[in-house]
Amino acid sequence: MTAPVPSADGATPSAATCRHTTLRAYLPVAIAAAVLAAVPLALGGSGYLMSLATTALVFAAYAIGMNVIFGSSGQLFLCLGALAGVAGFTSVLLADDQGWPLALSVTTGVVLATAIGALFSWVAVRRNLGVIFVGIVTLAFSLVFTNLVQGLRTLTGGETGRVVDAGGAALRGPISSYYLFLGVVVGFLALYRWLEGSRTGWAWRALKDDPVAAELAGVDVARARILAGTIGAAMVGLIGALFAHHEAFISPTSYAFAHVDVRVLIVIAFGGIGSLLGPVVGAVMLGVIDEVLRPLGQLRLAVYGALLLALFLGFRRGVVPAVADVVTTWRRARTPSDAPAAGRGIRASKH
Amino acid sequence: MAIVLDGIVFGLQLSLLAVGLTLIYGLGGVLNLAHGQLVVVAGIAGAVTISAGAAIPVAVVLAVAAAAALAWLLDATLLRPVYRLTGERRVLLSLLVTLGVAFLLDGILITTHPFTALNLSVPGPAIDILGVRMRSGSVVASIIAVTALAAVLAFLRLSRFGRAVRSVIQDEEGAALCGVNLPLTRTVVFVLSGVMAGLFAITQGLISSVGATSGLDFTILALIVTVVGGLGRVSGALVAGLVLGIVHAVSSFYIGAFVTFVILLGVAMLTILIRPTGIFGGGAR
Repeated sequence: MTAPVPSADGATPSAATCRHTTLRAYLPVAIAAAVLAAVPLALGGSGYLMSLATTALVFAAYAIGMNVIFGSSGQLFLCLGALAGVAGFTSVLLADDQGWPLALSVTTGVVLATAIGALFSWVAVRRNLGVIFVGIVTLAFSLVFTNLVQGLRTLTGGETGRVVDAGGAALRGPISSYYLFLGVVVGFLALYRWLEGSRTGWAWRALKDDPVAAELAGVDVARARILAGTIGAAMVGLIGALFAHHEAFISPTSYAFAHVDVRVLIVIAFGGIGSLLGPVVGAVMLGVIDEVLRPLGQLRLAVYGALLLALFLGFRRGVVPAVADVVTTWRRARTPSDAPAAGRGIRASKH
Repeated sequence: MAIVLDGIVFGLQLSLLAVGLTLIYGLGGVLNLAHGQLVVVAGIAGAVTISAGAAIPVAVVLAVAAAAALAWLLDATLLRPVYRLTGERRVLLSLLVTLGVAFLLDGILITTHPFTALNLSVPGPAIDILGVRMRSGSVVASIIAVTALAAVLAFLRLSRFGRAVRSVIQDEEGAALCGVNLPLTRTVVFVLSGVMAGLFAITQGLISSVGATSGLDFTILALIVTVVGGLGRVSGALVAGLVLGIVHAVSSFYIGAFVTFVILLGVAMLTILIRPTGIFGGGAR
């Protein structure tokens, strides 16, 4: 595999170890939540910095969705932006033009995005499509989405976009929206952790190593893949819809392939594909890079391209896992008598 | 009739663009998502040369050489680690790497040459073909495309090297065991696809223009044609290019550009869902 899943815990879901590690497994999620919850205090309530932090959370959430779809079951969806956009535009159209309550319009948008993601996964599994075909179909869908949004000018506002009325204070305030998106990210992380430890997570790991062997060993590969596509699409759709109402403005640019998909690939590649906290670390890194590169304008595209190249060619397992390994080796070298913890032992033996 | 002829002119160019893409994929499982950027590099190299005062033929040669050189560079550097992998892993890494290259080049070209575009105009009166008046630029573009396609096909069918290429497409390991030099074959084919992308830039410059922002569009067009023709099938790409060119012309005329693009994308998606080996694939590769 280009990027083996660094699954530290729950590699084999035997009942005894599962019960024992249940709470410990969620510890990283709790620590991440606590650290991220303290961010507004550190930023001193600056509206600009808060909006940057919120954007980072949005990309962390997209990346967790991508981790579920791509990291766990190897389906290369190149339509994250389009899925998010489908949910976003659906919700905005229903809430603003049809007067639906916000919760209902967001749900409808998410359901639609989920259905599309599930459909792609289902077709890919049924037709036994390889990574290349899944990539092309989803890339084509991205472009269809962009063209439709630009073409249906009266509904969507075309290329310039349209103002979004429905929103409410919680979604719009700099601090409250940060905590709202933080809640979503923490929820996604917990869900991801839970999935990893479940039968489905076990199936994902098996099929990532070798789909044929997994199938022969009795793993329902089709179900595992479709589940990954469905859950991931739902996550991406939810963030896409909330983001539109949060920004109070929607345009095809915020869901464009170059804006979402390429950057999410960078985020998960940096954080380590399939790792739990990788998306969060990667999204923070991306936020910093974005801010540093702001003056470069269009040249930023070139930097993203170079990052994509460097990450996928140089650190195929992700920068964070690579650094973590170095640290682990260093610590073990310092205390050779220390018996390695169970999780680390598994990881070391895998590579 | 005039529309259909226009479609054929455009279709020939699509074939030219797609044959290069499909050859590389067939050969090594690398789907070059930076194919359109090769075209743009050629276009901008040509435009810069012309604006520097060089004669048109010099600019044309330089433009094609630029695309070929870039293709060689890609193959010799970034794609080396990709070829070390096999199967699905290679396909996946090739997608991600060439996507990175596409954005890298796009960013650089759009920043450095935002308003440069290759426009070649052929002097001379319109020519009558089958009772339809054709712009001389379109005629020259078609001649270039047909000649290039014929040369590539002849090269693949008749030369010893072409046979080696086709053997690698059928069975990489087997061909290597029979003494085919895989890296050399890949490099030559990659450069060949660069040349075809460069020629496409010339023909496109004759009919409309090639600017810094059109890279992704060209890649997608090539991708659609390649998919409909069957990934890795040269004959399929040829036929699909012509058919989609005509579809494109007719649909643009009667329905409109936005919808036409969506239709083409839809055809490509449906092809994958219904018959992943391509509609015009047939048996011959």
